[in-house]
Amino acid sequence: MTDSIPLTAPPVLSTPETHIFEDPTPVPVVQNTPRLTNEELWEIYEIARTAGELRHGGYKRVALQFPDGMLRDAPRVFEALEEELKRLPGRAVEVKQTDDLATSFNHLSTTSFSEQGNGTVKGEEGTAERVRLYILADTSYGSCCVDEIAAEHVDADVVVHYGRSCLSPTARLPVIYVFTTRPLEIPEVIQAFEATFPSKEEKVVLVADITYNTHLPTLHTSLLAAGYTNLLTPPIIHDPSSQIPNRAVEASIDLKEYSLFHISDPPQALLLTLSSRVKEMFIYPTTHTTSNPSALKPNTTSTLRRRYALLTQLSTCAIFGILINTLSVTNYLPTITALRALISASGKKSYTFVVGKVNAAKIANFSEIGGWVVVGCWESSLIESAEFYRPIITPFELGLALKGDAERVWDGRWRGDFGGVEEVVSAAKEADVEGKGENGEAEMARDENEDSEEESAPPEFDLRTGRYVSHSRPMRTTLASPGSQTSSTEASKVLTRRAKGDLVTVNGTVSPGAEYLRNQRTWQGLGSDFAETEASQDIEEGRSGVARGYTVGEGGERT
Amino acid sequence: MVNFTIEEVRALMDKATNVRNMSVIAHVDHGKSTLTDSLLSKAGIISAAKAGDARATDTRADEQERGITIKSTAISLYGNLQDDEDLKDIVGQKTDGRDFLINLIDSPGHVDFSSEVTAALRVTDGALVVVDTIEGVCVQTETVLRQALGERIKPVVIINKVDRALLELQVSKEDLYQSFSRTIESVNVVISTYFDKSLGDVQVYPYKGTVAFGSGLHGWAFTVRQFAQRYAKKFGVDRNKMMERLWGDNYFNPHTKKWTNKGTHDGKPLERAFNQFILDPIFRIFAAVMNFKKDEIATLIDKLNIKISPEDREKEGKQLLKVVMRTFLPAADALMEMMILHLPSPVTAQKYRAETLYEGPTDDEACIGIRDCDPKAPLMLYVSKMVPTSDKGRFYAFGRVFAGTVRSGLKVRIQGPNYTPGKKDDLFIKAIQRTVLMMGGKVDPIDDVPAGNILGLVGIDQFLLKSGTLTTSDTAHNLKVMRFSVSPVVQRSVEVKNAQDLPKLVEGLKRLSKSDPCVLTFINEAGDHVVAGAGELHLEICLKDLEEDHAGVPLRISDPVVPYRETVTAKSSMTALSKSPNKHNRLYMIAEPLDEEVSKEIEAGRITPRDDFKARARILADDFGWDVTDARKIWCFGPDTNGANLLVDQTKAVQYLNEIKDSVVSGFQWASREGPICEEPMRSCRFNIMDVTLHADAIHRGGGQLIPTARRVLYAAALLAEPGLLEPIFLVEIQVPESAMGGVYGVLTRRRGHVFNEQQRPGTPLFTIKAYLPVMESFGFNADLRSHTSGQAFPQMVFDHWQLLPGGSPIDATSKVGQTVQEMRKRKGIKVEVPGIENYYDKL
Repeated sequence: MTDSIPLTAPPVLSTPETHIFEDPTPVPVVQNTPRLTNEELWEIYEIARTAGELRHGGYKRVALQFPDGMLRDAPRVFEALEEELKRLPGRAVEVKQTDDLATSFNHLSTTSFSEQGNGTVKGEEGTAERVRLYILADTSYGSCCVDEIAAEHVDADVVVHYGRSCLSPTARLPVIYVFTTRPLEIPEVIQAFEATFPSKEEKVVLVADITYNTHLPTLHTSLLAAGYTNLLTPPIIHDPSSQIPNRAVEASIDLKEYSLFHISDPPQALLLTLSSRVKEMFIYPTTHTTSNPSALKPNTTSTLRRRYALLTQLSTCAIFGILINTLSVTNYLPTITALRALISASGKKSYTFVVGKVNAAKIANFSEIGGWVVVGCWESSLIESAEFYRPIITPFELGLALKGDAERVWDGRWRGDFGGVEEVVSAAKEADVEGKGENGEAEMARDENEDSEEESAPPEFDLRTGRYVSHSRPMRTTLASPGSQTSSTEASKVLTRRAKGDLVTVNGTVSPGAEYLRNQRTWQGLGSDFAETEASQDIEEGRSGVARGYTVGEGGERT
Repeated sequence: MVNFTIEEVRALMDKATNVRNMSVIAHVDHGKSTLTDSLLSKAGIISAAKAGDARATDTRADEQERGITIKSTAISLYGNLQDDEDLKDIVGQKTDGRDFLINLIDSPGHVDFSSEVTAALRVTDGALVVVDTIEGVCVQTETVLRQALGERIKPVVIINKVDRALLELQVSKEDLYQSFSRTIESVNVVISTYFDKSLGDVQVYPYKGTVAFGSGLHGWAFTVRQFAQRYAKKFGVDRNKMMERLWGDNYFNPHTKKWTNKGTHDGKPLERAFNQFILDPIFRIFAAVMNFKKDEIATLIDKLNIKISPEDREKEGKQLLKVVMRTFLPAADALMEMMILHLPSPVTAQKYRAETLYEGPTDDEACIGIRDCDPKAPLMLYVSKMVPTSDKGRFYAFGRVFAGTVRSGLKVRIQGPNYTPGKKDDLFIKAIQRTVLMMGGKVDPIDDVPAGNILGLVGIDQFLLKSGTLTTSDTAHNLKVMRFSVSPVVQRSVEVKNAQDLPKLVEGLKRLSKSDPCVLTFINEAGDHVVAGAGELHLEICLKDLEEDHAGVPLRISDPVVPYRETVTAKSSMTALSKSPNKHNRLYMIAEPLDEEVSKEIEAGRITPRDDFKARARILADDFGWDVTDARKIWCFGPDTNGANLLVDQTKAVQYLNEIKDSVVSGFQWASREGPICEEPMRSCRFNIMDVTLHADAIHRGGGQLIPTARRVLYAAALLAEPGLLEPIFLVEIQVPESAMGGVYGVLTRRRGHVFNEQQRPGTPLFTIKAYLPVMESFGFNADLRSHTSGQAFPQMVFDHWQLLPGGSPIDATSKVGQTVQEMRKRKGIKVEVPGIENYYDKL
């Protein structure tokens, strides 16, 4: 068959060098915007404010974190900052308590530059030490998050984060955010706004993407002037679990009555979160081509449905991978613990992975894993791509997937943060306690006929394929049998029953990973395919003798 | 008043030689349930007066309402032979006493429910094939008969609705005889097509007593044997000889008082023996009663020795006819006798069925147990379907004990359809709570049931979705999974009107999926809950059940949609190449279409991934022209490891190939589940791995590098091989009078239908039209046809095959197919344009 279609080129037996060091991750598009003038640079990168804050905080080692798209401005920002810092009077600062720092940086508002801290600042002019600046690039996870680990490599006291940010609360270091404001044509926005909301009494929440946020007050006043009465412009806070993520909304306000006007395309996670919480959502596109842009209504239902299909698919999955996609968001460690507890409470197995930036190739290396949960900042947890070998869901979706078919309700509410997980975990614990009660009875019944084999748990219906899936809870069997036997009845029983041979165990616990190796993989390491190679032909007796004349077989003729 | 007790039934069960498991099968509306009624009335389950109208085996309200059977229903009957003499006529098998236990299953006739028939046939050994005198052998008769023979089930035939021929068509005796023999002829044609050596000749002959004639509605039926018995004494000949004389070209010459096989005497035609001795008395009764000739009736009744109560004598017309005929020739007697005499007992049947029933080797203890129908062997029980109980959400597992004895409390191994010996997938251990006897809509508890009987089980329903094997042997393989003649090719999605009801819908879908052997419920990638059924009627019934019964919440139901399959129509124009993300590994592949025959064999389960690879290679090479080396190197089937796509290794001497096999296979399963065109499953594609270059370090050729690459290269190969879209096609059979044929053709043409056969039924003005109709175009076809033929055409539609969707390439967005693809992608919420080959193909 091979000869019917010739290969277009002879097969290459070695990989050419040119291919070896290619980076598989897509290169970010370099903006073709003209080079910024110095004034623009100072304005956009808020050099003065940053330098002021740095001086004020008395930081000595500063990490500047740029997203890939802004890296080309990094040296100039670096120089400008250094210049400004030299100009500013230095302030020696007494060593502050870290927890003070932690509280203070959370209160850092982006606009205010007031005297803050605890008044222990002593101004000793002239003796200012040189502030060392470091540029951080190629962040380990998403560029929206503060890369604390990289900053710790240079032993930085503070991180200045440039560009759009997910504003997730950080755990270790204080952060100064510079949102790098983008220009916005206010009159056009007002025009679009008026076209969208003809009624002046309409209740509207005005929200902009972080990079456009500074325009909001201006816009708000102009709209009030245009006669709109029920406008809300919530200020930025660091709370992804707020009603509108990262925006302060008073609890008394019922967002269901409000429409939402969003400037610039929100990230998918925000879109999904908001779409069910507000009455209607309109997006004002900032990357438009037409001269007269109008606000669009996004369609999230199909995305939400796809998410639903994914999470129902994982409800019968036996092995989960917890994928750590952040090392800086506060609460990420407790969340991982909670997720592990949640997964093991439903009798499933979890493995934890750190792979750096997530891509399809890394994830596909672990074919044992049936589904992945991403613990990341609230924006990057949502990974929507068909390229991944197994589905990837968020902690919130995992909570739903493990909820059991009898309780799962899918009404379009969606959230990207970890907020929901603890609730689910506590609920699961309660359910588990109740379950234990039932199990207790079952166990008593089991004791009666201990000689016979245990009865197996019924299979589960896989909603995605419409079939029954057995062993979707591999850990449940161990929970019941070997553990209880060794602990409670250790003294009374001299002989313990060996775990049944059909379960693969590692140190006494069932290991679905090892099970996979034994049952699913055909290649199990060097030598494992030895038997497969076909036996060579039967040995035939050859010729023997000397060159003068050989004999074939016994007493055969000489040839 | 049921005239037998559970104890009696239980006693009979032990005598496996005296058990008859049989199903009643036929085309829709040929009178299965009605005939079953007369058997039930004999057993005392329903009163004689109601027999024919009660349709006692139609236990659901909608079955009664619509007058069609939807679910198959089992019932156990007690039967006995009058005379020890009769026992001698049971040829080829042993019996023990004159008492018999008959386990009867009434099955639906509509094509949409033929999966129920399959489930019924699996647990029975014999089939009563009901054929309408007037309509003759129809498409569904043929389908079910074919299925029965495939399962090695012996048929007997009853020609039903003879009363209609007499009353409505007023045919002559000879015409009736001719019509009978034509029908029997066509049944035998079907039977001989599927001749099976181990089953032997199972063609039916009236003179052997394997054909009965009768009327289910009036409750009468006869076999030639019964008449032979009457006349044997009179003529003083052997009954068997008499039977042969009463059918075919045998004449009694009244002048010579001799039997002859010439039709004339002295130039005058003689009357055929069948007409003279059998049809004549019947015709006379009909004539007398329907013409209200009181005196003649009285003499006839006396002459034929029919005992009728005085009040019945007062009746007139059809009422009287019914009573007279029922007393003269009770249907139950004729049928019971035919079934007992000619259908095999489990002992007989399992001898030749064991090898076709069992997946494992024929010499292991399980198979030997089945072959011998041994109640002491390890248990082998096949659950063929689930029957809802009065307890909502719970089911009786309905099945048959093939070996061993099942009792309440017995701990069994439950093996689902995906169980493979030695692995623990789909294997459960559970004690049976209770065993019950299925009696139509009711059940009776029973302590234990030995081999050869049909029963219901309580307490194992949660372990099996639809069917499975129960055993007590650790080494037993599965009993063969049933293959249905219908496929769920019509889909509708459902959603709840109120989001809070979702759990109820999900629960309902689970129950629905259990309650029907064929229906499929799942969530598609777009997040819709989909219910898939065999046809519009099937789906309608399922959705009604779902809304009213299983889920019990208001639902929104979408328009029907049709699943497509992606395929390739040519060999890849060049070798597709994809590089792994790290560029260190390369896969070279070519796609080509798989022969339709091979695909069908795979889908029918005759070529499976579980076969021994050498045997499979032999079949592929001998029957389908494959290269033997290729055929031996099939890496896997897909999607779901058993679909009709193949991955073939054609590489030569590639190092480390074994290591990457798992990864490539995973990629293949993934790609064949979601094809490149519109994420629909692929079908009938063969992918050849031409070459592989791998990095020398194992770390650089792991799954992460190869699974996505395998998927990409498969997509590239498929896109290079002129991809196409397959749509499901129905085979439509329409019975229509000549006058309305124009309308039928009109409707078919408008709906892309294509007629390939048109035949007149001899002796009637009815035509049978056979056509292929895309499932896509079949929605509303029935109504359309009815309105264009003033309700004279009756279509039957059953999924037949997959066919290429005509109208251009699916990649070309301007073509008709391209637009279908774009619509589908839009519905799924994925990018509307089909991703081009540059996404998957890498330049060297």
